Amino acid sequence: MSSIVSTYSLGAAMLSSMAQAQNQLSVLTVESSSGQYADLGVQLGDQSGYELSLRSQVDQMQALTAANNVTVTNLTTTQAALDSMRTTAQSAVTTLTSLTAGSTSAATTLQSTGTNALQSLIADANTTSNDQYVFGGDNTGVAPIADYFSSTTSAAKSDIDSAFQSAFGFAPTSASASTISASDMQTFLSGAFADLFSGASWTTDWSSASNANVTTQIAPGESATTSTNANQPGFQQLAEGYAMLAEFGGASLSAATQQTVITAATSLINQGISSLTTTEATLGASQTRVTDANTSMSSQLTILQTQIGNLDNVDSQKIATQLSSLQTQLETAYQLTAQLQKMNLAQYLPT
Amino acid sequence: MSLSSALSIINSAFVANAAQSAVISSNISNASTTGYAREVANVATTASGGVEVTSVGREANAALLQQVNASTSQAGYQQALSDGLTTLANTVSDSSSATSSSGATANGNSPSAMLANLQSALETYDASPSSASAAQGVVTAAGDLTQSLNTGAAAVQGVREQADSDMASAVNTVNSLLTQFTSVNNTIVAGTATGADVSSAEDTRDSILTQLSQEIGISTVTNSDGSTSIYTDSGVTLFQNAPSTVSFTPSATLTDGASGNAVTVDGVPITGSSSPMAIQSGALAGLANLRDVVAPQYSAQLDQIANGLINAFAESDQTGGSAPTMPGLFTFAGASAVPSSSAATGLASEIEVNAAVDPSQGGSVNLLRDGGINGSTYVYNSTGDASYTGRIAQLISATTSTQTFSSAAGLGTSDSLSDYATSSVSWLQSQHQTASNQLDYQNSLVSQATTAASNATGVNLDTEMTNMLNIENSYTTTAKLLTTVNTMFSSLLNAV
Repeated sequence: MSSIVSTYSLGAAMLSSMAQAQNQLSVLTVESSSGQYADLGVQLGDQSGYELSLRSQVDQMQALTAANNVTVTNLTTTQAALDSMRTTAQSAVTTLTSLTAGSTSAATTLQSTGTNALQSLIADANTTSNDQYVFGGDNTGVAPIADYFSSTTSAAKSDIDSAFQSAFGFAPTSASASTISASDMQTFLSGAFADLFSGASWTTDWSSASNANVTTQIAPGESATTSTNANQPGFQQLAEGYAMLAEFGGASLSAATQQTVITAATSLINQGISSLTTTEATLGASQTRVTDANTSMSSQLTILQTQIGNLDNVDSQKIATQLSSLQTQLETAYQLTAQLQKMNLAQYLPT
Repeated sequence: MSLSSALSIINSAFVANAAQSAVISSNISNASTTGYAREVANVATTASGGVEVTSVGREANAALLQQVNASTSQAGYQQALSDGLTTLANTVSDSSSATSSSGATANGNSPSAMLANLQSALETYDASPSSASAAQGVVTAAGDLTQSLNTGAAAVQGVREQADSDMASAVNTVNSLLTQFTSVNNTIVAGTATGADVSSAEDTRDSILTQLSQEIGISTVTNSDGSTSIYTDSGVTLFQNAPSTVSFTPSATLTDGASGNAVTVDGVPITGSSSPMAIQSGALAGLANLRDVVAPQYSAQLDQIANGLINAFAESDQTGGSAPTMPGLFTFAGASAVPSSSAATGLASEIEVNAAVDPSQGGSVNLLRDGGINGSTYVYNSTGDASYTGRIAQLISATTSTQTFSSAAGLGTSDSLSDYATSSVSWLQSQHQTASNQLDYQNSLVSQATTAASNATGVNLDTEMTNMLNIENSYTTTAKLLTTVNTMFSSLLNAV
């Protein structure tokens, strides 16, 4: 005799199988609509931490990519300002080269060239990007170059004036300027005057920039110097050359002495141009590094997101198949229940 | 043999028929009762050739019942553990709607995810160190992180207190079931002695045992007088002629580090590490494990993360002097120094963003970039430059550089803060996954054991119906016999 099946377990088996199927149905519905496992914690278990660290890497790289875009903007602005400085300097050199010392308009041309170029240099050096002065080193909150032509006499101007006064005993605007010999002028320009554009005098009179440049993290674990500052030699040389022209170009100098000023200024501006070119190249290299970092992070992001997807996402076709087979199973269970209810000896007994 | 003895045999057949019908009726009416054991009328021939129902047997199967009870206990254990872990896991859950690959909340609310957000905020700040909104972003992310740790710590405490009060109600249930058991057991002992039908009392007793095994793992021994003794699965006597006293004093609050009371049976603790005979299964064991082992361990991990954070963001003396290292961005109430990993208990619930850098509390966000939260000795950016990134870069690397953690939290002692935080999530989800899988497994075992027990001892309506038909046929035949004997008597009497 075969073992019996109790009426209770016959019904209970169907009940529990239906309950299970309905349970699974609700899970599958959630998964098919979200595309992810219904309970990631239970699905991943001890891989949860791995998944989280992948996600945090994604977040980090997205933050860095966005931050790099700000950096690139700053660098581009810096490069444009440097370009503009270089153009001004080159046109000043062109003017100086075509000038003949002692000619009638020479003094006026020299002074206006120097004044305009210096104003343009100060404006370019105080360029801002995102409200930050790009040539301030890491001191981006303060304009790096003080206004030489401010209404109240600037420290730089008064220092130059007093240096001239102590060297020659009169102001540059004095008629006595014609008595200055070329060699005296040469001595002054390379001595007392040049000293005003380097070391402590430069940072006191001219520049508020910090020597430390901004270092920014551009990729996980990778930093780059992403700014320059107005204490670079190029800035000093250009300011020196322009100031020389602006202050002494207009004086009533002898032709030989004027030629000395022109030669000295041309040489300084040319040095400044080559120094700016070096700075541009350095920043260009930084810019390339930032762009490269973004490119490499972009490809890493794709890989990371694929990995996260592999962990989190359900196979939608599999879900669809499971859903339909579950539906079939559930319908079968309903029919079976109905059939089993009819399969009862009492139904077949004559009343 | 005489006609009158034939009549008396017929009479006994009627009596036996009625008794068998009663048994079948009882079986049919209990066809859907869980745990009901099928009754069988034992029929024997009497000395005079008649028939009688000598006894009503019970198709009980002690081995299968034990199996049902054992798997019920295991399921109760896993259910308690799984419920608690689900609550804890909710505090770290990945957002199920994380369809977007970015966004602050896409990674759920775990300390690990919040730490990652803080790292991203610091990187944004690093690129725009003069931006107040970027600095505010860091402070907000730091606030979210402390919030996550506070919430986690509160959830752990909540789970432990819930477990504690659940243990109290489980103990009440056990005591009340033991009282019921006492009276049923006495009925059975008395009935067995006098030979009365005790099958319905036995059904009640089995059902009480199953309810009891839900709360506490048990083993039973049936004695010769029909009584049953109950022991816990660790061997402590719960019932032997009289019930033992199960007692437990619940704790109103269970703060981090505080341990709850043990459940005792006649003074012997049956839960906790100090118990010589700790129970292994049942809801009580699961709740005790949750309250005393699993939740405190997670709590310790959160404390270690909080401690690691305070240390990673601490400020050191920048003047070359010997001023002590002090808490920076992250601090805790009444902090006078940075804590150590071995004394971190309770930090997760106390950690907060330093008011000195929080603008909403009158602080200045620039202290994040410049240092100096603890005064001028701790200023990193001595020149006050607006785009100084030295300190920010330090903070970024602090979360990924190796630190020392207490071994008590069970996640290793040397790791970076961010790895430690993800390990903690892994640990919790792994416990959650295991408990959830075990619960499914044990539930299916219960259902299998119940089905097996039901098939062995339960009622099949068709079988009962067939028996009923047999009895009906027998009744009809007996009635026919009676008519025949009666006719014979009448013929005899008419002949006289």
